[in-house]
Amino acid sequence: MVGNWQELIQTVVIGLIFSYLVAKLISTVVNFREENLKVVREDDVLAEEESSSAPSADADSLKIETPGVSEGKILEDVSEDDYEDRGKKEEEEDEEDDWEGVESTELDEVFSAASVFIAATVSDRSNKVSNDVQLQLYGLYKIATEGPCTVPQPSAFKMTARAKWNAWHGMGAMPTEEAMEKYVEIVIRLYPDWGSPSASKTSESGNASKTPMGPVFSSFVHEEASDDELKLDVVHVSAREGKAEDLIKHLENGVSVNLRDSDERTALHWAVDRGHLHLVDILISNGADINAKDNEGQTPLHYAALCEREAVAEFLVEHRADVNMKDNDGSTPADLIASSWNFMTCVH
Amino acid sequence: MANGSNGDGDSIDSSNLSNLNPNQPSPDIPSASSSASIEEIARQFQESISLPKKHPFWETQPVGQFNEIGDSTLPEGPIEAPKPLSEVRPESYNLPGAYEWTTCDIDDDAAAAEVYNLLSNNYVEDDENMFRFNYSKEFLRWALRPPGYFKQWHIGVRVKGSKKLVAFITAVPAKIKVRKEIVLMAEVNFLCVHKKLRSKRLAPVMIKEVTRRVHLENIWQASYTAGVVLPTPISTCQYWHRSLNPKKLIDVGFSRLGARMTMSRTMKLYKLSEKTITPGFRKMELRDVPEVTRLVCKYLAQFEVAPNFDEYDVEHWILPKADVVDSYVVESPVTHVVTDFCSFYTLPSSILMNSNYSILKAAYSFYNVATKTPLIQLMNDALIIAKKNDYDVFNALDLMYNESFLKELKFGPGDGHLHYYLYNYRLCQPLKPSELGLVLL
Repeated sequence: MVGNWQELIQTVVIGLIFSYLVAKLISTVVNFREENLKVVREDDVLAEEESSSAPSADADSLKIETPGVSEGKILEDVSEDDYEDRGKKEEEEDEEDDWEGVESTELDEVFSAASVFIAATVSDRSNKVSNDVQLQLYGLYKIATEGPCTVPQPSAFKMTARAKWNAWHGMGAMPTEEAMEKYVEIVIRLYPDWGSPSASKTSESGNASKTPMGPVFSSFVHEEASDDELKLDVVHVSAREGKAEDLIKHLENGVSVNLRDSDERTALHWAVDRGHLHLVDILISNGADINAKDNEGQTPLHYAALCEREAVAEFLVEHRADVNMKDNDGSTPADLIASSWNFMTCVH
Repeated sequence: MANGSNGDGDSIDSSNLSNLNPNQPSPDIPSASSSASIEEIARQFQESISLPKKHPFWETQPVGQFNEIGDSTLPEGPIEAPKPLSEVRPESYNLPGAYEWTTCDIDDDAAAAEVYNLLSNNYVEDDENMFRFNYSKEFLRWALRPPGYFKQWHIGVRVKGSKKLVAFITAVPAKIKVRKEIVLMAEVNFLCVHKKLRSKRLAPVMIKEVTRRVHLENIWQASYTAGVVLPTPISTCQYWHRSLNPKKLIDVGFSRLGARMTMSRTMKLYKLSEKTITPGFRKMELRDVPEVTRLVCKYLAQFEVAPNFDEYDVEHWILPKADVVDSYVVESPVTHVVTDFCSFYTLPSSILMNSNYSILKAAYSFYNVATKTPLIQLMNDALIIAKKNDYDVFNALDLMYNESFLKELKFGPGDGHLHYYLYNYRLCQPLKPSELGLVLL
């Protein structure tokens, strides 16, 4: 009998608490929509339990992150004095919108992309980001978007809230840019493959790094080498990439040190080409042919000369590379260097 | 249970947070956010960042509009007639409270250093933020003081308290031939806002201010370039690059060495001969100005949009200035007549993320005229000179006749597209790069 009463009271109390919390949750979501959506995203990140509210909240925060929305104020200051009549003022406000996304800094863009990425990643339950790191990200996010923490400390019973507040408050008066930089750093450390593709994609599509007017910095479009016919063996790849252990392993497994690729280059050619002196050393001590010729008649010393790798060339000459060897054009290695290297001319 | 209460407590807490934070800006959220599905919002977000954008600003400006493209009923020429000068706003536009206008006297060393510092730290970078233009002080003096320049068109913005220069925009006057008309224009350039102030949106008011000061000189047209598409490009050019120092370019990430390519073949590919080939190829001198002027005027006359140079302009823009602009003429060894010339300007860039190198030295093709010497040979000599003078790369746009030598001289396509614009002047059809004869710095 007593047990039943207790159970009943417990049920009623739990029911009341639960419905209060549900009501509060609904009002929270509504509130966020109406006035302060920025907070939502990282709450989202941390409070995975709230998956029901996540989609709309997340979308809202995406919306609000569109650069410039919160910056209307300053512009109005500018435009207020410029135009007397209302109609023109509206036009003016329109024109400011045009600069949306054009003027925000690269850091803003990268940070924004990083925080969108983190929101998406962390809400995926299979994520591997620890709570500590999440809190750190939260703190940096708050500094970056709102500045130093000025809100009162939440009650000690609200453990998550307290932890988040501590994370934010603990950042002190860190400057916004620094917070953004650190945030991005952490994201890149957690997801090394995130950085370049999506970040550059974002800035490209948003034209963020381009100024609204003026010149353009251009560099080479990256084209894959068209030389698809070229066939390399594992030793050539290891030599090219400077991977000493791999190279040694291949040699121990019986791959010939003088194996040729389809252009007749040896691993030594590749190591010299990329300037990996320690691999040159390994290859030579494993009996590589120091005067091997590729299909253009060039020896590793020709490569060192062409590529202006003086230390490598000197090493090859010390190991009795032939300085007088001519390639198919009739050039000796010394003919290919711009400056003159004493160790090559001395032997002459 | 423990989990649930944590989650709920969390949400209560954050609603409190937002309530307790009255300083939080509460921007107007488009009504779409209230009921739209995630997909729709995601789509809108996508649209908001993808091209073509809406351009409310430029749609109110006297510039060719996107919807007018190909409309041959519209007349070519000025879009708006000049206003009486009395109707030009006499006072400067208002800046946000903390900032004030200044005129940058580029003659003055301290002022030039200020401008140099602002630009070298905040001006144009590549998409990946590996390089930033590093216009030299001497270059800026050259670019900003052509014949007839106006000091008051070199506009800066300072922080009132600290007097720190935080933004810059300039215009210089130029006579530009558009089709058959010669139009006095302002060439607008060097718009730069300090990185930390980009969110303050100074650029629009700066553009309006420079426009106002141009109008005050009774000039109503302008030309400018941008890396972004605005309404409406009169032409879009592409940059091409010729490696002079391939090893360094690869090291600093300007170009890449494919996994299947060897450095040695790359080096061999870009090797240039030590000496120029054309007999009579020499540095331009002051005495060459009349002949070069004749050559360049005749040459530029064939393009739809090109500068209309006189001897003063040629002396300013083409006569060599150390580390700013280089020009070479071909003087016939027999007749001593100048038959050809080529020129390039020097625009280094800071290398932002490399421990071995801090400066990329780039030559930019300027104006080249070949009447007797094949253009390819002339440009090859220009490459040889640039290589000899330690330039790392030679850049050229695909305008004028440049396309005829780019591939053959081993230029490779760049990722930069430069859009050309005219302000208050309509062209009915966009120009092919080969119809364009204007190089802006």
